[in-house]
Amino acid sequence: MSTIEQNPPSPGGPPSAPPPAAKGRGAGAAAGIVWTLAPYVVSVLLAFLVGGALIQAMGYPAVDALEAVLTSSFDSRFGLIETLHKWVPIVLCAYAFAIPLATGKFNIGAEGQMLLGATGGAAIGITFSDLPAIVLLPATLVAGVLAGAVWAGIAALLLVRFRVNEVLSTVLLNFVSFKLIDWVATKVWPDAGAGHPATTPVGEGARLPLIGEAPGLHSGVLLVLALAIFIAVGMRFTPTGFEMRAVGDNPRASLINGVRTSRLAGAGLVLGGGAAGLAGAIDVAGVHGRMLEGMQSNFLILGIIVGLMARGSMLALPFVAFGIAVLEFGAGTMQLVAAVPVEMVLVIEALILLFLLLSDLVRNRLRGAA
Amino acid sequence: MSEFLALVVPMWVVFTLAAQGTILSGRTGVFNVTQEGVMALGASVGFVVAYKLESNLGGLFIAFLVGALVGLVLTVMTTQLRMDQFVVGLALFFAATGAAGLLYREVIGVTMTPPKIDTLTKYDVPLLSDLPVIGEPLFRQDYVFFFVVVLSIAMYWFMQRTGAGLDFRSVGENPKAADSLGINVNLARTWSTIVGSGLVAMAGAYFPLHFTGIYTDGMIGGRGWLVIALAFLGGWRPLYVVAGAAFFAGMDALGQKAQVIGLGIPHQFIEMLPFVATLLVMVFAFRWARQPAHLGLNYDRESRLAG
Repeated sequence: MSTIEQNPPSPGGPPSAPPPAAKGRGAGAAAGIVWTLAPYVVSVLLAFLVGGALIQAMGYPAVDALEAVLTSSFDSRFGLIETLHKWVPIVLCAYAFAIPLATGKFNIGAEGQMLLGATGGAAIGITFSDLPAIVLLPATLVAGVLAGAVWAGIAALLLVRFRVNEVLSTVLLNFVSFKLIDWVATKVWPDAGAGHPATTPVGEGARLPLIGEAPGLHSGVLLVLALAIFIAVGMRFTPTGFEMRAVGDNPRASLINGVRTSRLAGAGLVLGGGAAGLAGAIDVAGVHGRMLEGMQSNFLILGIIVGLMARGSMLALPFVAFGIAVLEFGAGTMQLVAAVPVEMVLVIEALILLFLLLSDLVRNRLRGAA
Repeated sequence: MSEFLALVVPMWVVFTLAAQGTILSGRTGVFNVTQEGVMALGASVGFVVAYKLESNLGGLFIAFLVGALVGLVLTVMTTQLRMDQFVVGLALFFAATGAAGLLYREVIGVTMTPPKIDTLTKYDVPLLSDLPVIGEPLFRQDYVFFFVVVLSIAMYWFMQRTGAGLDFRSVGENPKAADSLGINVNLARTWSTIVGSGLVAMAGAYFPLHFTGIYTDGMIGGRGWLVIALAFLGGWRPLYVVAGAAFFAGMDALGQKAQVIGLGIPHQFIEMLPFVATLLVMVFAFRWARQPAHLGLNYDRESRLAG
């Protein structure tokens, strides 16, 4: 697991030496920041270089394509709002992956948890559509969180009680959830006029208020921002956060020192499921106004990419997620401007991740030599 | 019954082929989790090559090579550079998924009616194919079916009945001990991952080449992940995998027939069956089935830690 920790020890050798003390504290901290940021910059540059070469080799204008990917989020108000709307599920699905990862468990089920959260939110929003927003909106969001947490709870139960590998159980539950929401969208609350499996719209009271003139930014963005701060502080400064990180670093030492490791691992999964469930509920309440098939898009993959790139830092995670959201919004523009298929961006993101993982090795060599 | 078996057998081919590829590398300790992506890539490559060259065999072969290439990257990053197997596997799964869609869109483009290829020719097994009920679905098959049968027997024989196979398995059980006996740990891990990943891609190519004749995104539909469950359930043994694959294929066929079966319950709940049944089976699999002791763990010869 050495690749995921914040400061992985060099494989096999002694732990990487701290920066020379002679430079003083300030210089050491600055060097630390450089050592942390440099791999990201280099990985992104390399991935764009390789991606650009690939685009050029396929006969498209590489410069135009990559420019579209990087800048279209900032070209217009609409672009920025859409990017932030994409950022919300990406960052929440990244938490769904990163929180269990802190305890050393892999949650590959953010997709299913998000869909269940959307279903839970939509169920409340449709059934009690007449209630005022002050009651209905919180209920919708809470229902989403609970539904996501329960869905992940199945995997947690299987893990803690029966020691079933959580990778498999979370992934398989995704596919169960696809069928489940297909049933909900075609049999339970079908909207025949939608032309695509979807539920009927939720009540007005379940919609998140918009900020600014149309097209407005939905207020779920602010909610997630607050949540991001809460999680970063919680993981860093609370006993539970400390225990979770300890279990991820050394499960045996934690167990010996009285941490209930398996229960904590289960709790991590449930919390992650809740985050993904919130993503589904917010997308229902803020973006779609209903639960529809395919709304999970590729947020599972993006969440995992962001979660791995943040390397266990809950502070870095929202920023990394924003970078990925920019790329994802840019992908559509790239297809319009340069006719490059959107899948190209997924390849570039995977390349960034691979280069980032590789950079650990390079960095440790360099540090060892220095 | 005969119609149902005709659905089960090709799915058995897919599950067996991909799972044998998975356990081949798993037995040396390399836990491959790229299946879902590599199978999609195999399907895309297999279709595109078969369409362009008008040769299904060529499609299968190139799909194997592309899968082997992914396996090569995986093994270099895990055995040479000792990066986390699962994390690298996930990154490669994403890259392969992206590459699959990209390749198809690049070569074929977006079309109203997707281009179609001729599916593989089927051959009769003399005498046996004339049997009533089971003859037609079991013994009238394309060459991939016969390849899978031979491969499974060969893998069983190699792993469980030869000295070289014992050496091979020891790499996944205790690499340090294997290393001290002069067995080349990295070599075993490298070739098994390359060949195994190639087989997984071939299983993916079987989708357009046998079932549909066309390629669509998401046609693997989670079966790549089921393959990993199958490997665990089969205890990473070739013959158990053959039997387990029959169970998975049966569930899969039931799910496919869900719209027709009815039974008064919504068809979506029957379609869940393969996944729900797998989850239930895993409860027992993780309790009783064995797995290689060093599955998913990298081996560092210079490490002072045990193992």
